Amino acid sequence: MKKIPYENILLFKSCLVNVEYPGVESSTRYIFDKLGVEYRVDPDQSCCTGLGYYYDLFDQLSTTALAVRNFYLARRSGHENITTLCSTCYAIMKKTIKLLNSNENARQEVNDILKKAGLSHMQYQAGDLSSENNIFHVVEVFYSLKEQIAKKIKVDLSGIRIASHHACHYCKVYPEDSITPFRNPMVLDELASSCGAQVVDWYDFKKATCGAGFSQRFANRDLSLSATSDKLLALEGETDILLHMCPNCQMQLDRYQPVLEKELGRKLNLVHLNIAQLSALAMGADPYKIAGIQTHSVPVEGLLDKIKVHTNLE
Amino acid sequence: MSTTQSKLEKNHPLSKDQEDTRNPEKVGVFLCRCGGNISHTVDMAKLKDSIQAEFVGEFENLCSLDCRRHIREEIIERDLDRVVIAACSPITHLKTFQNYADLLNPYMVEMVNIREQCSWVHSDSEKATKKAIELTQAGVEKVKKALALDKIIRQTEKSAAVFGGGISGITAALSLANQGVKTCIIEKNPTIGGNMVKIGKVFSPEKLAEECSLCILNPIINEVINHKNIRILTKTNLLRAGRRSTHFKIILEKETGFVHEDLCIACGRCVEVCPVDVPDEWNQKMTTRKAIYKPFSQAVPDVYTIDLENCIRCGKCEKVCTMGAINFNLKSEVIPLKAGNVIIATGHESFDLNKRPEYGYHRFVDVISQMDLARILGVNGPTQGELLKISDGKRPDRVVMVQCTGSRDEKDDGKRYCSKVCCMVALKHASIIRERFPETEVVICYTDMRTVGMYENYLRYVQDKGIKLIRGRPGEVSKKDDKLLVRVEDTLERKPLEIETDMVVLSEAIEPSPSTMRIAQKFNVGLSQDLFIKEKHSKIKPVNTDMERVFVCGTAQGPKDITDSVSQANAAAAKVSEQIKNGTEAEPPVAVIKTSRCNLCGKCMDICGFKAVYRDEENMAVDPMACRGCGACAGLCPQEAIEIKGINDLELYAQIKGLLSDKKEKEIRILAFLDNVGYTAADTIGNNRLCYPEAIRIIKIPSINRIMPHHLMYAFEHGADGVLMAEYPDECMLEAHKAKIKELNESVKNQGIPSDRLRFYKAYAPHYRGLAQQFTRFFEDIAASN
Amino acid sequence: MIKKDHKNDTDSLLEVVIKDYRAYPEMGIKRCLQCGLCTSNCPAARHSDYDPREMVKMVRDNNPEIMDNPDIWNCFYCYTCGSNCPANNSPCIVNQILRQKILLKGEKNTRIYKFLTYGYSYMDFGVGSIPSDFFDALVADFGQMYVELKINLEDIRHDLGLEDYNLKGKALNEVKSILKSSGFTNRLKKFKECHES
Ligand code: SF4
Ligand code: SF4
Ligand code: SF4
Repeated sequence: MKKIPYENILLFKSCLVNVEYPGVESSTRYIFDKLGVEYRVDPDQSCCTGLGYYYDLFDQLSTTALAVRNFYLARRSGHENITTLCSTCYAIMKKTIKLLNSNENARQEVNDILKKAGLSHMQYQAGDLSSENNIFHVVEVFYSLKEQIAKKIKVDLSGIRIASHHACHYCKVYPEDSITPFRNPMVLDELASSCGAQVVDWYDFKKATCGAGFSQRFANRDLSLSATSDKLLALEGETDILLHMCPNCQMQLDRYQPVLEKELGRKLNLVHLNIAQLSALAMGADPYKIAGIQTHSVPVEGLLDKIKVHTNLE
Repeated sequence: MSTTQSKLEKNHPLSKDQEDTRNPEKVGVFLCRCGGNISHTVDMAKLKDSIQAEFVGEFENLCSLDCRRHIREEIIERDLDRVVIAACSPITHLKTFQNYADLLNPYMVEMVNIREQCSWVHSDSEKATKKAIELTQAGVEKVKKALALDKIIRQTEKSAAVFGGGISGITAALSLANQGVKTCIIEKNPTIGGNMVKIGKVFSPEKLAEECSLCILNPIINEVINHKNIRILTKTNLLRAGRRSTHFKIILEKETGFVHEDLCIACGRCVEVCPVDVPDEWNQKMTTRKAIYKPFSQAVPDVYTIDLENCIRCGKCEKVCTMGAINFNLKSEVIPLKAGNVIIATGHESFDLNKRPEYGYHRFVDVISQMDLARILGVNGPTQGELLKISDGKRPDRVVMVQCTGSRDEKDDGKRYCSKVCCMVALKHASIIRERFPETEVVICYTDMRTVGMYENYLRYVQDKGIKLIRGRPGEVSKKDDKLLVRVEDTLERKPLEIETDMVVLSEAIEPSPSTMRIAQKFNVGLSQDLFIKEKHSKIKPVNTDMERVFVCGTAQGPKDITDSVSQANAAAAKVSEQIKNGTEAEPPVAVIKTSRCNLCGKCMDICGFKAVYRDEENMAVDPMACRGCGACAGLCPQEAIEIKGINDLELYAQIKGLLSDKKEKEIRILAFLDNVGYTAADTIGNNRLCYPEAIRIIKIPSINRIMPHHLMYAFEHGADGVLMAEYPDECMLEAHKAKIKELNESVKNQGIPSDRLRFYKAYAPHYRGLAQQFTRFFEDIAASN
Repeated sequence: MIKKDHKNDTDSLLEVVIKDYRAYPEMGIKRCLQCGLCTSNCPAARHSDYDPREMVKMVRDNNPEIMDNPDIWNCFYCYTCGSNCPANNSPCIVNQILRQKILLKGEKNTRIYKFLTYGYSYMDFGVGSIPSDFFDALVADFGQMYVELKINLEDIRHDLGLEDYNLKGKALNEVKSILKSSGFTNRLKKFKECHES
């Protein structure tokens, strides 16, 4: 397994975590703090552009140039272990580094862009960063510290069934880099089981997309929802929680589940949580002040009652 | 010039005085007119008059039988001790003339190529004649320095170790044993027979039928058991292997099964009392066996054995065994074995279907492998040959087969190659199912149906039985209610499908087995990129490995079916017996290590890509059969302990000097050192009557690794204007080749010789025109700069 | 002119794809077996007429009709195809490159027009956001709860102890000038003009 860092981490902010599930970031920080992981959040960090890139709006060079600026910030503060909350940030930055390290023309063009922007000091030289050793997803840090997490679990999850939704952009863009076999990703499953929950493991469409499809959610709603329902229907009655690692997937499945339930005329009885939210809750974090469950579409309260987590908002 | 020369001669093992004490050599020169091919361009009379030797004669067709008599007569009459044949190419005719002059040691015969390298490539008669004289005289000077060499014949021990007791190993062993070779079969499992005994039926493309594999194999196995020349060691692993000049020293370990093989009468009482159930490998773990077991009823040797891992040492079996064959104190045994030759026939393993979780092999009971299906269809299998679902014991309405599971896949966890047998295996099983269970439908999802050669007949035969072929590689297998779903695109219809079925059969890839890799490592045998044993040459040496006297056959070398495995096994046996019967003759040049000088640094062993150098008990040694005499080791040896027999330094000097002699003012001379491939290309230039400048003088060498900086300096100091080295380097010597080029380039630079006076060229036999151009360009460049 | 990812328009479609910065050096498009594994796992193929295998074939055949095929806009960019492809091809990336090529033709494209607001807001704040053109549609699906979430976001984030995420001052200016010199600002303008003309 590749070496996962627990210090000098740049916790890379995600646009969708910011506005949809901010509890994912606060939960991550909570866990990092409890485990003694050393990290930094940089106020000057810009977004990875991933959504725009996959809306077909951003071109490769603009995305790459902006990433190089963020790399500069990471290097400047000595936090070169860029660790993302979102799978698309993860894939976008891996792509950027691979391109820059292997393609001299691209590197030249990007450095020219920076120069023209008066930012020559940010320019990138081949090998400045490596896709394998500098870009991580938060779940990888959790995974490498799962024994420590297990020790800090305060809530009994043994009565809860958990299925995982591993983000496509974590497992499938660079399958060889994923820390568990990409054909049956188990990162979330193993984390859930070290939190003490029962794990569903494989289910039909386990590896399938959430259906967001970037622009599809907006431009092609029905197509997008068909894929989403494949997944949700496969899980009906199989699990209590669908565990996430990416705010985009979480948004798709959490926000559209009620829409789908309305169409079906029945409840699907499953809730959505990010692995950071679940672990933080299991470690005793406050559901509203840390886990931020108030931004969810499918209410999490029922589940929390079941696992005896106090949910009264004062 | 003279200073270098004397220094060189002083340094050389064969010093001048040593040379002077010998009688002056009596060289006879035989000139061939070649039916005009030479004499039309070369003035033969002038050539004859100009050569200084004991005897010079001119003949019309020197290779004719008539001339054989002349050559013999002259040798006897004039008491000649060396001979120069000035005619055509040694590549085609050296053997002939060595034969004609068989009164002399073959290394006392030198051929000068005045046809391909002179009359056919030069048109100016005067210049050609001058060159012919110089070439021939250089040959005379060279042969004077030749040393008589004995043929090196290596007779290996008349015995063989065959690793692996599957169809390949058995076949090879039997063939050897029948030729009188003591052969030992070493098998890691408790029985011989390998995969073939498990598969139940084999297909026959000629008879268009399926035959019982055990029925075919049984007589062979019986022959093997009863053969006086064959020893069978089951449950045996290789511990160590050491290389000696005529054999291998092999140390084996025979694991104990707590059962005396000689005492056990295979009554089977023990099985009745053993309380431990273990998934049975013989039935692909679809049934169970006991901790004491016999793999299958016809197992060889016919004895029970205890699976130490699962045995709980309760001792119940020991109590019921009336023969007293069971003894829990029996220890594993270390067995030394001396074998002249080794055949690796360790077979293959099946692709781990866990690596394709999307197909659900471990999730759904009715997703099975082709080997599982073979067992199910086998009359001695878990369902006694009935096609039944493992889940509920019912007959499936439909079976979907998924081809290329793990094969033809570039992903890291896949096999890049085609496993070669799966299409035929799928068809065989489809055929059996359609024949015996016609109510079951068979669908085969394939990427390409590969039924090469005659196998196409079999495809047609099975198609006629009614099967459904879908061209597409399935993405996943899922389950809905009690049906399995196969998701696949019918690429010919451009339609994604979900095929409902009761049983899915995955055609698992063949993969190299870890035990093959371990054995290869112990014998220092090279592996291919895909981790099978690498054959020495896929076309012309398909059963040799890169290690002398170690051969390979069957699926240890790569995916193949039984037919191919058996032919390869017979070929491997033939190769072994070739070694044993007549020994092999090593042609000089070969390297010889003077052990008195050698300090065992091992540099020679590292550089030699032919794996000719090895360390036996206390010395470094060269296996003459493996050595190509390329000279890489000699150039590297810090102790100067290695000599290359067959092309000694004095010969080289004499030839260099000879080819540069009588150089006129302003005349240009270029020495071309060519390896065998380069030399062949030069011959082809002649055959095609292309022209190049007379300045080119060719010296045949085994490899540029033979050339040391001092040879080069000698050439430049004796008047060479340029030196060209052309070689088609062996793949295993590429590093040495590169290092040599660097070394020679540096030596030229240090001597202040312009760097473009030494050129290297990658020879390539069919691209002779390139070599001709190279000659001409080199000449023109020098002419321009002089 | 809009800045192009690729260099030479006259090249064959296949070469254009291979040379694009979105492609990767080992991409096996030329080695595609046409096995259909990609299609069999593709969510878009499952729910629409899109066929990634066929798209790859058409690119390899240099068949320009693929550019007018509306189905290629159904790809989810989920990368499932490439992760399984035995030839190490990535239909997903091939699709992305095709779409870029189509967009850069300068023809009217309503689809991209609707996403422009993502770009504008990126230039204003240095962060991505849901394209505002679609906000109403989301509210229609997600309900009033979603509107309230947006209204209360500041407070919620404050409760969670999170800082403001928008870029300001020097940082924002850096982002803006990068996007200007990379041609992105122009690219948006062009997309807008194409649509509105
Ligand atoms: S390096 Fe060349 S000369 Fe030396 S042992 Fe090997 S093949 Fe023979
Ligand atoms: S792109 Fe890959 S998966 Fe798709 S058809 Fe080609 S080889 Fe098969
Ligand atoms: S990336 Fe596109 S083409 Fe590939 S599987 Fe996903 S939706 Fe299909």
